[in-house]
Amino acid sequence: MGVESVSQMPVAEGKSVQQTVELLTRKLEILGAEKQGTFCVDCETYHTAASTLGSQGQAGKLMYVMHNSEYPLSCFALFENGPCLIADTNFDVLMVKLKGFFQSAKASKIETRGTRYQYCDFLVKVGTVTMGPSARGISVEVEYGPCVVASDCWSLLLEFLQSFLGSHTPGAPAVFGNRHDSVYGPADTMVQYMELFNKIRKQQQVPVAGIR
Amino acid sequence: MSGVLAVRNSIESACEKQVQDAGLDGTETYLQPLSMSQNLARLAQRIYFSQAWGSEEEEAAGAEGDTHDWAGAGSSADQDDEEESLDVAVVTCWSSTNPIEGGQKLTKSVTENKENKLKRDFNSEFLQHWKLRKVGDKILGDLSYGSAGSLFPHHGTFEVIKNTDIDLDKKIPEDYCPLDIQIPSDLEGSTYIKVSIQKQAPDIGDLGTVNLFKRLLPKSKPASPHWQTKLEVAQNAPLCKEVFAQLSREAVQIKSQIPHIVVKNQIISQPFTSLQLSISLYHSSNDKKSQKSQSPEDHLCVLEHNLHLLIREFHKQTLSSVMMPHPASAAFDHKRMRLSGPQAFDKNEINSLQSSEGLLEKIIKRAKHIFLRSRTAATIDSLATHWSNINDVYESRVKVLITSQGYEQICKSIQLQLDIGEQELQDFLLSQMSQHQVHAVQQLAKVMGRQALSFSNHVGLGPIESIGNASTIIVASPSRDYAISVRNGPESGSKIMVQFSRNHHLHGPFKEWNKMESRNFVYKMELLMSALSPCLL
Repeated sequence: MGVESVSQMPVAEGKSVQQTVELLTRKLEILGAEKQGTFCVDCETYHTAASTLGSQGQAGKLMYVMHNSEYPLSCFALFENGPCLIADTNFDVLMVKLKGFFQSAKASKIETRGTRYQYCDFLVKVGTVTMGPSARGISVEVEYGPCVVASDCWSLLLEFLQSFLGSHTPGAPAVFGNRHDSVYGPADTMVQYMELFNKIRKQQQVPVAGIR
Repeated sequence: MSGVLAVRNSIESACEKQVQDAGLDGTETYLQPLSMSQNLARLAQRIYFSQAWGSEEEEAAGAEGDTHDWAGAGSSADQDDEEESLDVAVVTCWSSTNPIEGGQKLTKSVTENKENKLKRDFNSEFLQHWKLRKVGDKILGDLSYGSAGSLFPHHGTFEVIKNTDIDLDKKIPEDYCPLDIQIPSDLEGSTYIKVSIQKQAPDIGDLGTVNLFKRLLPKSKPASPHWQTKLEVAQNAPLCKEVFAQLSREAVQIKSQIPHIVVKNQIISQPFTSLQLSISLYHSSNDKKSQKSQSPEDHLCVLEHNLHLLIREFHKQTLSSVMMPHPASAAFDHKRMRLSGPQAFDKNEINSLQSSEGLLEKIIKRAKHIFLRSRTAATIDSLATHWSNINDVYESRVKVLITSQGYEQICKSIQLQLDIGEQELQDFLLSQMSQHQVHAVQQLAKVMGRQALSFSNHVGLGPIESIGNASTIIVASPSRDYAISVRNGPESGSKIMVQFSRNHHLHGPFKEWNKMESRNFVYKMELLMSALSPCLL
């Protein structure tokens, strides 16, 4: 368990998502990283049911139920700015029983799948974000294994990211800023993924810069 | 009275009902008191019927109906019968002083008395060893290992029935028992597992075959009744089946360099390339012809014991406190595995929790160990006569002492861990032996007052040895009259050269010395050194 940074790689000009992913992975392989299987992170959205809202007409909160193949026996449930619950896989069954309180948003399932690359202490995961049948973007996650405190190793992570992302290197994730010197946990990773997915979902409104 | 705080007092009646459990908020749950029939049964257990004699007993025995299935078999006995029986018991106790009427009546009463006595003993003994339950009007027992923690789906139920082949006119046999048992047909006969290690190369001795869990037809031992042995033999069957099922499951699942073959009821694996280990399950329904006893070789009996222990350990694990109690929705696994979800364990942590080694792997390891050990022992035996070893399940250590006859003070002690090959072991021992010779000369020189001018364990001069290295020593007398040079190698043997001095300086050629006859090398050296010292006459 280390510190993970999740970011989005914009699709290169004039290329498709798949080609950009291939470019990235080739760069990693030249760097010397070893392929180590695949990964998958998925997310489903739930609305709090209208019946529980009361008469104030407040907007229903959105709850995200996510899975990560790195933690195969766990299930994560989080609100936007709220707590993150880590449970075992029976939670999915529980959600079915809570149909009265949480209703699944339509066509909300979004996931990212790709390969994992191990480069010494770094674990890089490059994945294609898909919603339904269409690919929407590219997610890049880098984990630095030995460290568990985010603020201590952010500069190292940044340097590493620059080495293969070049100009597309992201800034420090919001979760890092929240709590300095506290131990980084899997919940923080899921929050980052949730933010990434939301950003990509919003990008849906703008047509994808494609080949004209 | 004088400002002392009042103390609260409360009065409670004597607790009539026994407290079974106290909740966290202080509420108590009580044990329900015994119903009338249960209470009667409990009291009746204490009465020893065989003390009562006389015709009244016989009449009463006839009147009370069926006493045979009263005590112990079921929990809900007929209340009427019990009350009647209890009354009868009281009557007989009081009327034991009345005169006996009629010899025939007496014989009958003796028989039934004995029957009752046997029944009491039987009940207490039977219930001590086996679990019984009443289903309808049948009494069923359980001889599977389920209560010991086995998850094997084998029912293993037997039925307890009345033994009706009693003839009151003839003499009752000594070991007569009023009840008999009926075992399901697939548990009858003997089931056993056979483990054999066979050679596939001519130079390796066959370590033999042994039949595990084999029991001869039960001849009723004088101490225990026949149903006990019968049930014990029948109990083997589910155990053997479970062991074999577990082994075959693992044989198919685990990946090893040489894959295991599972054919019908035999598992074949190869711990070493020239060795074949086969485990098979045998079931023979009729034991008449398989009476001949096998004589298992000692070292494979340990494999039997190991298999038995391993599966029992496996059973115990399912009942251990890290597994039980477990929530209804959780899988049957180690306690920490239930936390793997909520604590977001990653794959490494999960792998470390799962049990690493299966039954088959352990047995193969054990078989390998036995085999290696026997071959190593054979090798050492060819070179030495006395050596000792310390054995563990998977490791053996050996202590070898190298001495020369007559010079046991000078000894070289080696402690080896037996995980090297045979040839290497032999080479190693030979090289150690040659080093020992030179060490012995060094010790001898000290004792005899000579000086060692040079000593080397691994000398770089002379012909190259294929096994190990040669060692040399040069010993001189204090007055430098002579010098002896010894070179000993595992292959080249020993070479002794002597140099004499001229004018009290050691120079001159070394002359080879090989004319002495003696029983061993060290003795030869001692003789040489003493022969060379100048006579001080």
